[in-house]
Amino acid sequence: MADALGAAYPIMLGYVGIGVPCGILCESVGLNALQVLLLSALFYSGAGQFMIPNMYLTGAPVASIVSSVAFVNTRQMLYSASLAPWCAGAPRWLAFLFAATVTDESFGVSIRRFEEGGWTADRALLVNLFSQSSWAASNVVGVLVGSALAIPLPIAAFAMTSIFICLLVTQRLTSANVVAAGCAMVGVLACKLVGLSGPAILVGAVAGVAVALAFATWRARSAKGSGRAGEEGAGAPEEAPQEGAAASNRAQAACDLDERCLRAEARAGREADSGERGGESR
Amino acid sequence: MSWEEFWVILGVCGACMLVCRVLPLFLLKGRSLPEGVTRALALIPPAAFAALVANDLLSPGMFDAGLWPAAIPLVAAAVVAVVAAKTGSLIWCAVAGVGSYALLSLLA
Repeated sequence: MADALGAAYPIMLGYVGIGVPCGILCESVGLNALQVLLLSALFYSGAGQFMIPNMYLTGAPVASIVSSVAFVNTRQMLYSASLAPWCAGAPRWLAFLFAATVTDESFGVSIRRFEEGGWTADRALLVNLFSQSSWAASNVVGVLVGSALAIPLPIAAFAMTSIFICLLVTQRLTSANVVAAGCAMVGVLACKLVGLSGPAILVGAVAGVAVALAFATWRARSAKGSGRAGEEGAGAPEEAPQEGAAASNRAQAACDLDERCLRAEARAGREADSGERGGESR
Repeated sequence: MSWEEFWVILGVCGACMLVCRVLPLFLLKGRSLPEGVTRALALIPPAAFAALVANDLLSPGMFDAGLWPAAIPLVAAAVVAVVAAKTGSLIWCAVAGVGSYALLSLLA
């Protein structure tokens, strides 16, 4: 409980900063405290709950509001997939509640704790629920105080940007991670340039993962020195385990005790080990 | 906004969100995944955080109104990156980010 609160409080404070302005905005399109509470409890999306009143104010039809909002939130699929291995041992109800309450920020906090070790799905669920309570309460406060309170939103929202920057900077500095991050950023900007700002985060992140995966595969192959580098680009994921096992055998068979071979063997062994996450440490 | 509009928005948005949040986890949970999939999943956090940061900081035409207004979030982001590298603390990063952003806005 205390662990979860310790992990959640930066998110909770950040949510006060953007939740109150969100409530104020919702109130301005005629949503009441109960409706805002329902949105925060059953929908629970910072970006989405800003988009709904914003688009409503511009006179957008309901169909266009819901499709835009749904589009923006498709990035949640990535978080869900990424968290799956960590929930392997959790009971179904716990995994369901946890998955259903993940946000950008709580995903970041929980994945970091999971990777550090000693973190469990029930604590991660508590982080989500603490964050959600803070979000819901701040939204209701925003509705109740209305525009009596002037919070400069760009400044308050920068708390969230700062949290994302921190989560990014504290990622393991492997070459594959750097490629993933760089390509994701380029992908987001490219999406915005062609006017696809809705799915920009999802498209950018998927592009980053795809290019980094291709990069890691290519590097693993060229490291073997078998001259097959780049033959197949990304390669189907299903090939990878056999590839890893084959690499391991080949490295073992071919290796003298020279350093380059030892490195190749170590790398091949790591690839075969499905527990290994990410590429080679720099 | 009427209650009818509200229910449609809450229902559709909430249902889409729930599917996006829950379905992938339950499809992958408890299976032994091929190594390539595991590797792809491990690449999601850096890619996603980079995408979120880029989405907040970068947009086409951001320098149209001159260099300085657009540079404020970038300079504040650089401050946060230094604090993140030094402390690794989310809360200190949020404090440093909001503080430097507010300060730079005042100076502008």
